[in-house]
Amino acid sequence: MATPTASAVPAAPPSLSLPPSQFARLQPHAYLLAHLSPPPASNQPSIRANGRAPAQFRVTSANSGSLTHTNGSAVVRVGDTTAVCGVRAEILHTDDIASWSVSQASSGNTHKRRRLGDLGGKPTEESDDTYADAQDDEDRAHIQDLNLLVPNLSLSTGCAPGFTPGAPPSSLAQSLSHQILSLLHTSRLVRADDLRIWYQPPNLGREDLERHNEDEAMDVDAGPGAAGLSKPREIKAFWVLYIDVMIISLAGNPFDAAWASVLAALRDTKLPKAWWDIDNETILCSDDVSQARKLSLRGFPIASSFCVFDADAAAAYRAVVIPKADEPKRRGFKQTWILADPDGYEEGLSQERACLVVDKESNGQGKTVIVKMEKHGGWIIDTEDLRQLVSMSAQRWDEMKQILEQC
Amino acid sequence: MVGPTVSLSGLRRADGSASYKCPVTGYDVLGAVNAPVELPARKDALRPEDATIEVFVKPGNTTAGVGEGYVESVLRSVLGSIVLGREKGFPRRGVVITLAIIGGEAVERGDSYLTILPALLHASLLALISAAVPLSMTFATTLLAVTPSGQIVQDPPVEDVANAVSLHVLAFSSKGHLLLNESQGRFDFETWESVREQAASICQGANPRGSDGDTAMDDESKDGTLDNFIREAMEDHLHRVYSWKIESN
Repeated sequence: MATPTASAVPAAPPSLSLPPSQFARLQPHAYLLAHLSPPPASNQPSIRANGRAPAQFRVTSANSGSLTHTNGSAVVRVGDTTAVCGVRAEILHTDDIASWSVSQASSGNTHKRRRLGDLGGKPTEESDDTYADAQDDEDRAHIQDLNLLVPNLSLSTGCAPGFTPGAPPSSLAQSLSHQILSLLHTSRLVRADDLRIWYQPPNLGREDLERHNEDEAMDVDAGPGAAGLSKPREIKAFWVLYIDVMIISLAGNPFDAAWASVLAALRDTKLPKAWWDIDNETILCSDDVSQARKLSLRGFPIASSFCVFDADAAAAYRAVVIPKADEPKRRGFKQTWILADPDGYEEGLSQERACLVVDKESNGQGKTVIVKMEKHGGWIIDTEDLRQLVSMSAQRWDEMKQILEQC
Repeated sequence: MVGPTVSLSGLRRADGSASYKCPVTGYDVLGAVNAPVELPARKDALRPEDATIEVFVKPGNTTAGVGEGYVESVLRSVLGSIVLGREKGFPRRGVVITLAIIGGEAVERGDSYLTILPALLHASLLALISAAVPLSMTFATTLLAVTPSGQIVQDPPVEDVANAVSLHVLAFSSKGHLLLNESQGRFDFETWESVREQAASICQGANPRGSDGDTAMDDESKDGTLDNFIREAMEDHLHRVYSWKIESN
């Protein structure tokens, strides 16, 4: 009889105090704040509720080529947020583009320049700027005007309780789709040259003559007068890349995972060798895998997101007395934390977000280039914080490059 | 330089409205605000102590698409940080902002939405003030483009936008905070710092804050800044509205 009462006595205190998981649900703000600012006496480091340091990103893993029916695919898992991306290529005939003949006639000169550029071999990444500039305009014209890249992001997979499966795209999903598309355009990741299907019309008139003394004809071809000999080659079709991202599990920060999966899937994408068949008047594709080629992407942009946690839970209540930007911050007590790669719990507790997409020149050796930098929702992050975030994103770039190159 | 054209409270049925036209870019935005209103779809589980801010952007020539969804989320987040949604009468209710783009270049699918963002932000701010929604501060915002030669151009025309290396939209609060930064293109941090400096001087003037801690109302350095422009637009409007009272005194 004594033993049950003895065990009941230790059971009594829990009814008055709360287990951490319940405390986290009832007082989320105080819970996270208690982790980030432990009492000085306890001698504990400032750590987030999920056990990470403020600048620490979640464990990331990537796997590419999992979907066999796509041209390229990747699964990227950042903590508990998982994005699956599949790239499907379809052929767009130039005959099906309403304005094609008109727009070609007006931009004939640029194509001539392109052809000459092609003879010099494939341009390596950022090798010559003048050539790249001329190519850029045309890339933009083709990829953007013809909509050759079609990304779509779906959250209606039951990824999180807030998103009902099968529902129409939420505003978050639409906004993320737009961000991916706009980043694909501004970072100029995909080269339009990879998406073009060319056709070189045979020079039927002088065929016999050329076959007669082949070596001589070759010499003439290489000479400066060669341009008149061959008919100009023309674009017969384009590859359109449908980039579909499914977030199958959402625990905060969907953009980083989605963008990493898009990048990994595009790196994995192989387009079959395609040519214009003049007899059938259609495009034929080779089913030989060895003839398929990968896309040559420009750069390696990596996204990193951050959120700001304010120690003062009632900051928004007292927003009338917002201190001025140049007023010195209160000493001795850190009021705000910038948390890297926020999970769902932390996102719910913060208003201010920052997202940076950075790239490094010459394969990681050169300086850091910012491709996109955005912050909104608050007034805490300013120049000094952004400078810090850029260097954190640059570190993350190294980390992610390693992960995505191994997958 | 010709400043933007503003007219306030032009719509009769809305609680507040403003039209904003930028002569350089040609964008013309009509904004209407209804606040506080009951929102039928509002879930009380979502921040019951605060007002919900809804933003709708309607492009001039088509229905709202994915790009509008994105710009709506940016506007919601920026305006959410300055609207005092916990003042009396606002919690659990909605602040509905409707913005119609009635003039200027259409934004195509996948195009950058940054070019029109300043006009949308200014129109919604003026409409919020016109609807007497309590705000913690006002803001001014500008679009800057960095050209291939490294020059920074304010409010670039359409062809400059197409050729620009990077585009930046920055918004500064009336107290000098950086409220919004949207940058895209290829740039390094030093470029961004000079962009920020220039944007700050466009929005707030060279010496934006008085040393006494209060906004200097008649500081000469503030002449021609966007912050001052918003203030003057409001003063003019109030002067017109209260003219009967001023006359009688």
